[in-house]
Amino acid sequence: MFTGCGVVAGQTQYLPKDAVRPLTGLMVTRSNPAENGVTAGTCPGYHAQTYSPSVQPAVVNDSIPLKPPPAPAPPRALKLGQEGFKKVCRTEEDSPCPFPGLASGVLEMRVKEGSKIRNLMGFAMARMQGGEGVNAAGMSGGGLRQVVFTGSGRAVTKTITCAEIMKRKVGSLHQLTKLRYKVVKEVWESTEGGASEMTVHRTVPSISILLSKDPLDPQEPGYQPPETLSALWEEKEGVDSASQTACKRPLGPLPYSGVAHCKKVCLGEGLSVVPPQ
Amino acid sequence: MTEPRNPGISSLPLTVPVQTDSSSSAVEMDPVEYTLRKRLPRKLPKRRNDVYVNMKTDFRAQLARCQKLLDGGGHREICVHGLGLAINRAINIALQLQASSQGALQLAANTSTVELVDDLEPEDPDEAGEPMTRTRNNSAIHIKVFYPDPQ
Repeated sequence: MFTGCGVVAGQTQYLPKDAVRPLTGLMVTRSNPAENGVTAGTCPGYHAQTYSPSVQPAVVNDSIPLKPPPAPAPPRALKLGQEGFKKVCRTEEDSPCPFPGLASGVLEMRVKEGSKIRNLMGFAMARMQGGEGVNAAGMSGGGLRQVVFTGSGRAVTKTITCAEIMKRKVGSLHQLTKLRYKVVKEVWESTEGGASEMTVHRTVPSISILLSKDPLDPQEPGYQPPETLSALWEEKEGVDSASQTACKRPLGPLPYSGVAHCKKVCLGEGLSVVPPQ
Repeated sequence: MTEPRNPGISSLPLTVPVQTDSSSSAVEMDPVEYTLRKRLPRKLPKRRNDVYVNMKTDFRAQLARCQKLLDGGGHREICVHGLGLAINRAINIALQLQASSQGALQLAANTSTVELVDDLEPEDPDEAGEPMTRTRNNSAIHIKVFYPDPQ
């Protein structure tokens, strides 16, 4: 869980310029432009060689452009709070639709951390199957043709689960998955009076899943044809079994490993008939 | 080494008071305590360029491993897999790789459902509890991180 020495070295380099402020690692926009300039100047170079921030198992990734201090410290939010700052607002910056050329009226399900799957699915399934919302774009007969699930941070898992449930229930849906970082702007205000205010930009990983009853472009990265429920694993195993046979890792003395091993062997033989590319 | 097949980490000795669900024959509350053992996900394809992300290994170590595969390992594409909670980390790794490549890398994500099996073993062998299994589903992500072919 601790940071490597490389990062620490980088940090010491970085710290002196910033030593006054306790909030290393955050790119802070204060009213003082000079100070801000220093931070902005040092950050990018510094971060270029260090890696990600997810020191804690916290799911929210704290930013690319900002380097968190390599401390086994409590999460950043808590720390800011301890320093006498209070989060006053949090806005998600508008990002363009990840699916260019999508009709504007497509149902977008924004999955949040606290969203209930039954609520989301109840709504989305009704729209996809039923005849409600007849005027919505992308309609033709039995329900909507397309739906987009988006979620970020801790809601990513839930978003995928929703999409998976819908694929299973509706069947023969084409899927397009896009990943990207989403920028979240947070404004923190000092609690000890004074007009000190900070704006923190942090980036959070987010996912967008487009499910469509109509075919989508199979060349697009992240496309998944319908009914690849379990085929995904098998197919991948098959594709380059050559490299797989080359890679022999000792299987643990696991009760199930026997089965897995058998399977691999069978696959390897089967593939001699169908030559891998 | 993050060997996911290690049987040691698979058994989580939790005691769960098992409740009778409507499908089982017993009508009264079952007093037998069970140990819930989570089996490992089945059939993992393991090529050299497959990376299974977990939540136990340091994030940076896993990221460095991926980076090494792409830079020094001579792979033009790697596959980053994440299951359940590790989905987030897998996405993070993929996005970090992409960011540090200055846009040279592309991502192609696929999602799937993985069926997981839990074993329920009776705590006390004297009692008439029978070993049971339960299956549940969990979501997974498979992200192909690759250099697009020059065209």
